[in-house]
Amino acid sequence: MEKNIIIAGFGGQGVLLCGKILAKIFMLNNKKVTWYPCYGSEMRGGAVNCEIVVSDEEVTSVHKKQTDILLTLNEISFKKLSPNVKKDGIIIANSSMIKNTSLNKAIRLIKAPISDMALSLGNIKTTNIIALGVLSKLFDNIDFSGISNIIKDLFPKEKSMLANLNIEAFMLGCKFKPEAI
Amino acid sequence: MTLDLIKGNIAIAQAAFDAGCNSYFAYPITPQSEIGEYLGAIMPKANRVYVCAESEIASINMCIGSAATGGTPMTSSSSCAISLMQEGLSYACAQELPIVVASVMRAGPGLGNIYPSQADYNQAVKGGGNGDYNIIVLAPGNVQECIDYTHRAFYLAKKYRNPVFILSDGLIGQMMEPAEFTKYPYEDIDNSDWILSGAKGREPRIIRSLSETGEMHHERVKKLFQKYKTIEENEVLYKEYFTDDADIIVVSFGSLSRNVKGAVKKCREQGIKVGAFRPVTLYPFPSKKLYELSKTAKKFIVAEMNMGQMINDVKVAVKGADVDFIGRSAGDWLDIDEIVDCVKESAGGIYANI
Repeated sequence: MEKNIIIAGFGGQGVLLCGKILAKIFMLNNKKVTWYPCYGSEMRGGAVNCEIVVSDEEVTSVHKKQTDILLTLNEISFKKLSPNVKKDGIIIANSSMIKNTSLNKAIRLIKAPISDMALSLGNIKTTNIIALGVLSKLFDNIDFSGISNIIKDLFPKEKSMLANLNIEAFMLGCKFKPEAI
Repeated sequence: MTLDLIKGNIAIAQAAFDAGCNSYFAYPITPQSEIGEYLGAIMPKANRVYVCAESEIASINMCIGSAATGGTPMTSSSSCAISLMQEGLSYACAQELPIVVASVMRAGPGLGNIYPSQADYNQAVKGGGNGDYNIIVLAPGNVQECIDYTHRAFYLAKKYRNPVFILSDGLIGQMMEPAEFTKYPYEDIDNSDWILSGAKGREPRIIRSLSETGEMHHERVKKLFQKYKTIEENEVLYKEYFTDDADIIVVSFGSLSRNVKGAVKKCREQGIKVGAFRPVTLYPFPSKKLYELSKTAKKFIVAEMNMGQMINDVKVAVKGADVDFIGRSAGDWLDIDEIVDCVKESAGGIYANI
């Protein structure tokens, strides 16, 4: 079974990197996976997203009309992409930035104050990694333990403090308990 | 096997480097700019040539210069800018020069759009340059194939002394997928008997496309076409998926073949005997194999992200068998369900109960 995950937000919030790390985790779990960014005139401050498709067999369509899981970090992308989520799909919304979470159908919606959590860590740039932590809880059969090494590889040695901060950010996201629905 | 998450464009760039590409000439254009960006970082460090040319016309002609003097050149570009290279490609074919061109398709005609498309099938396979010539065209369908067929492109270019296209598109170019940078698997090909390497101690050589008489020119083209015949006999590549017992065969190339595979799976679950056929070499086209399949299949559907280009080659190959078409020029890739619906519609004439 193929499942697709769209991660969306402002350019600069790190959604493409967040998606790449998730794709890498799937790869390390011996899954077949693709990562496909929206590309073009997107830029810092504009709306950006990437789509990850994961499967046990070779991925067919890498860009699907309907979405299984949507992670949105800002209101524009929530508005634009939530209508495409399947009725048995899941939406994670960054409630620090998305005030209007009205949906036209009943979809499981997890509201997490991801930007506020990042500020509590002292660095707003950790938003994407905290989001990944929240998202990771949706995948019971996926082992996320490889994430520390993936994050460490992203930073040069002299910036290992930032790597540690991001690992901490991931753990913080994992600890997030959504309200019972 | 050590897999890494690799972007299609980077796969082509690193595979070209591993295949011994020692000179890269190009001008940036979306959606293939990462190829130049990546090679710009690694080529100079390895003492190889990297030139960001002033135009695509310049870059293809720089490739001609490099190939004529024994280099292993590559250029890469997209759609409207590949158009600018057509004169150079015709010359390179006439002069029998090994040049690899990575063409990462975007939407056309004209400046079109930066989003993926497959509308340059004719541009690559039929060409827009003058004269009788053929270019070998390899169309990868995933990131691993971007690596494998880039290796193959360099090998075939040298083996046949002919330009070779890697026909990718914005979708494969921009996507990432687990793949492995394997070692270049082909043998080295000796070019010392024809390159312009300095005539000290030997007769001078001339590489040009001009023939002095009509007769001489006819002989030159005849020789080219003997070469093309050898290529057609030996270098055809294709992939089949459930074609053995298929009543309907969906033919597609490159990245769209992934969606076609998905559609075939779905149709099979519903009891429709469908298969998928994918030409990997668009020239030489797998006409013989398609003709063979036309003896058992009742119908062909050609699916392309263009308004119908490869369909003409399929029609010629299957010699009068039924051929339907589904496609559009750009925008969202044909969805699995759209292809399934098209198959069902075609199947209506074959199965009474659908």
